Order: sequence, then structure tokens, then C-alpha cells
Amino acid sequence: MTKLSTKSTLVILFSLVILTMLLSMGFGVAELGHDAVWQCIHSSCEKPIYDTILWQIRFPRILLGFLAGFGLAVAGALMQNVTRNPLADPYLFGIIAGAGLGATLSTFLPANLQFFSLPLAAFFGALFAVFIVIVVVVRNNWRKTEHLLLAGVAVNFLFSSATSFILYMGDAFSSNRVIFWLMGSLARADQTALMWIFPVVLIVTIAALLLGRQLDALLLSDDSARTLGVHVEKLRITVLVLCAALTAVIVSFCGGIGFVGLMIPHIVRRFVGLTTARLLIATGLVGGCFLIWVDVLARTSLSGQEIPIGVITSAIGSIFFLLIMRKM
Amino acid sequence: MSHTVLQAKNISWTVEQLTIIQNIDFSINAGETVAIVGPNGAGKTSLLKCLYGEHRDYSGQISIKGKSLQQISPKQVAKKIAVVSQHAESVFNLSALDIVSMGLIPHKGLFDTTTTADHIKIDQALNKVDLFNKKNQSFNTLSGGEQQRVLIARAIVQSPDLLIMDEPTNHLDIYYQHQILQLAKKLKITLLLTIHDLNLAAQYCDRIVLIADGRLYADDIPTVVFNEKLLSKIFKLDCHVDKNPFTQAPRITFSGNTFSGDSTNKQAINIGHVESMSND
Repeated sequence: MTKLSTKSTLVILFSLVILTMLLSMGFGVAELGHDAVWQCIHSSCEKPIYDTILWQIRFPRILLGFLAGFGLAVAGALMQNVTRNPLADPYLFGIIAGAGLGATLSTFLPANLQFFSLPLAAFFGALFAVFIVIVVVVRNNWRKTEHLLLAGVAVNFLFSSATSFILYMGDAFSSNRVIFWLMGSLARADQTALMWIFPVVLIVTIAALLLGRQLDALLLSDDSARTLGVHVEKLRITVLVLCAALTAVIVSFCGGIGFVGLMIPHIVRRFVGLTTARLLIATGLVGGCFLIWVDVLARTSLSGQEIPIGVITSAIGSIFFLLIMRKM
Repeated sequence: MSHTVLQAKNISWTVEQLTIIQNIDFSINAGETVAIVGPNGAGKTSLLKCLYGEHRDYSGQISIKGKSLQQISPKQVAKKIAVVSQHAESVFNLSALDIVSMGLIPHKGLFDTTTTADHIKIDQALNKVDLFNKKNQSFNTLSGGEQQRVLIARAIVQSPDLLIMDEPTNHLDIYYQHQILQLAKKLKITLLLTIHDLNLAAQYCDRIVLIADGRLYADDIPTVVFNEKLLSKIFKLDCHVDKNPFTQAPRITFSGNTFSGDSTNKQAINIGHVESMSND
């Protein structure tokens, strides 16, 4: 497939982002359509309540959706490049299961602390899961990158079973809260979430861009990268830790949103090529737009209730996964 | 006056208590083309891996342009030594251009961008290997010979003092075997390669390093190293050496009959097994 030039890729993608943000602001439960939104942006809102809905509810949610989609897609692209496995995804490394266990354990804390402790516990749970995966493969001398994925799958099952057991034995109200959180949602969109996620997405993306050339070297083989002066094991651990931090912070506020990191890099790679820097930027922007639209679908497809966003991404993602497998 | 580019002194490398390379000494001067030859399992690839820093746990001293390999960073090594390895297959659909551009990696810091001069350098390298018109083609769809040329172009971009090629003619037909070696010679760069075809080594190399069971048996010009007695002993087959009528280089012909004289010991076979395991 013909690859687009960097300039035209950026023009297309930034236009897509702006258009997505503007159009998605017109969707929601409240009767605030595109015309009213345009009026709010262009001059001032017709009613004061529109101002509140638009700038305090919808816009933060769109921003959170964009940042979460951007971050998950970048994490997926990094994981795929660093493991040379086009099917790698942050999900496969036990990150979501770790976050789930952390969130579940937080239900044992007093009720007044749970609102704050759930994201924090989820964050540390996710990091703990990745820590176990990394320890296993480092002890195994990184003999094969497949071991990384297999260790991740094992940790995933281990943590999921622990979570299920605790939820089964636990108090029904707290368990329900954790189960809903695990299904993923952008409802937690507020300044705190944005203030936590934005710097992490920014720092990880910049760090990954700076490591771009070394990551490019890994695309052929580990031996080839070593002959180009790349410290393969150190680079791989650095990137895994970056992905873990990025995914953990997103999961801790948005819950389990799977398959974004698998699908988006896979699609984007066909249009912009494999070079890490181009791939990361394009993947992030497309991932951000994708999650905004999935959230629109989640909010508007059933009247009066919201579908958990993770349910939709998992449904789309698993079908996509099967289609890829059919072509491989 | 010739300058030493690479010097190896008393190199030994042991893996899991088995000695793969024992006390090897040799050096390469600027502009030379040197071939390491020997039977399967002789330790050729292991020796190469010590020389380009993949194995850093060897004993002895390897220096590149006077600097000890163990005292400089892998990035510094990559600025001085480029490697064209045996197998290169891309899981992703890398283009020839993607791979050639990798040659810049050792020369770039975290904040360095790709400059116009870099693009020119890459294009010139692709032109040198006659693949400019195929630069956007997927590496995996190129022929074996073209893939080797892409890796040579990457090495050109890397601008090393020494180019190491591990079995560059493997899996290539006779035309491409000669083409690759002629191309490598044309670069006028110091070249160290391992090769199984002794006639190609005789034709294209200034010096031959003959190793077997991890030890150095000879290090001299082709006409000296390629003598019937030594080759029969090392390769365990009767052989005849005369002159290539076109190039006047030694021409080696093996009879296929097992050499009945003093054969190399069985340790070579054992070591070969371990080496192939360590390469997995």
C-alpha cells in the first residue's frame, strides 16, 4: 500500500482530530445538538445550562477519551514494535488484570476512602503485574520475545482468578462497583483524571519518540539491533515500564478498555509505515479519535443508559483480531 | 605503511564450561579482505561474535583501531564495525529504505534529527548497491542477493572502519555469490568475512584465517593456506589444489573420499554441536 508523506499524514490526522472533537460535542443525552454547540463555540451559548453541559461535562469527557485512546494506542504500538509481534497489546501483559485486582482490593478500605483509593490501587496493581512479567523474562535472559507474551497471559489469568474470588466472596455493592469499573467508562472525566493522564501521556510519548531510532533498530532482529549499538535488554525494559505506567494511569481512571492498543497500530501501520516516530504520532491521533467515537456510541446507542466503553472496544477488537488471524 | 584496524590477542570463549574458541591470535590491516574459513562447528561465527562485541565475555584482548573492545560502549563499537549477518527476515513489512536508514543509528543521539545530508548518504548507499529503484520495496519480497545488498547499503551508511560479513554467500546462486563479493571489494573498506566456499575465498581475499575445533591452524595468503595436506586434514576429505585458469588464484577440488591420513579429532564435532546451540 502507498505510504502517505509525513506532511499529508499530519494534515489529515490533525483535521480528523479537530473534526472529531467538534462533531462529537454535539452528541449526548441532553438536547444540545450541533447547531447549539456551534453557537456556543462561535459566540455564546443560548442557555447557561448549555455552557455547563458543553464545557464541564462533554468537553472534559472528550478530552479524556482522546487522551486515553491516544495513550492506549501508543502503548500498543510500542509493545508491538518492542516485541516484534503485531498482535501484542497492553492487555496481554496482565496490566488490566493487575489494575482489576488492585481495584478489587481497594473495596476492603472504608467507603469514604474508596473513591480516591480505587484509581490509586488500580495503578499499583497494574504496575505490579508488569513487574512480575518483567522479572520472569529477565530471569529467563529474554531468550524469546514470545516468553514475554506468555508470561503476561499467565499473570493475566492469575490476577483475574484472584479478582473473581475476592468479588465472589465480597460485599455485593462494592463488587458491583468494581465490576462496572472493569468494563470501562469515561464517566470519571474530571480535572483530576485529566491532570494525571495528560502529563503521563505527554512524557511517555516524548520519551518513546526520543527512543524512536533505537526502537526502529529492533524491528529487524535483536542481533541486528545489537550490531547497531543498541542495548536491547535495557531498551526493552525501559519501553515496557513506559507502557506499564501509561496503561496503568489510563486504566486507573477509565477502567478496562481493551483492544485499542492492538487494533489502531495495526491499521495505521499500513498507511504511515513502520518508522517508530511517524507510527507513534499517527497511532496516537487515530486512537484518540477512535475512542471519542466509541464513547459517543456508548452514550447514545441506548436511550437512558450508557453501555460500558470496554464492552464496545472488546467487541470490535475481538472481531478485528479474528479477521487478522484469518489473513495471517 | 599498513595500519592495524583490528587486533585479536589470545582470544578464548567458553560457554557452559565448553571451550568454543581457544587462544586465537590474528590481526587485520587497513584495506585488507580477510576470510575466516573452517569446517562446520569450527567456531567461525562465535569468533566473529567476539570480534564485533556480541559476545563480550571472552578472555584475551580485542582492539579496534587501538581501542579495547571491552572498554568502549556498544554504540562506539557500532561506529567502527558494521555487520552483515547471515539471516535477516523482517516480521513487519520493512522496506529496503527502512533498513538502510538504520545505518544512521550509531551516529545519532537522542535529540538528533535526520538531515538532508543523511538522506543524501542513504540514497548514495542505495545507488552503490544498485537498489535505488527498489528502495520502497518490501525487504521480504527482495531476492536473497538483493537482501544482502540492502544490508551492505546499511553498512555503507554506518561508515565503519571494518565490515564483517557472516557467510554472505549462503543461499545465493553462483552469479550472486560473485556479485556480492565483487560489490564488497569495490567498497574499498577493510573486510572480514566467514565463508564456506574456499574457491571464492581464494579468489577474493588477501588473507585466509583457517580455524578448526576452535583453534587457529593457519593465517596467511591463499596460496600458502590452501595446500592439499592442510585442507585434507582439516576437512577430512582428499583434495587437490591447482590454479584457477581465469584468476590464477588457488583452485581447490575435493574428491569426496574421506581423508585417510591424520584426521582432526572428534572434539570438533562436539564443539560444533554446542556452537549451533548457542546460536539458536
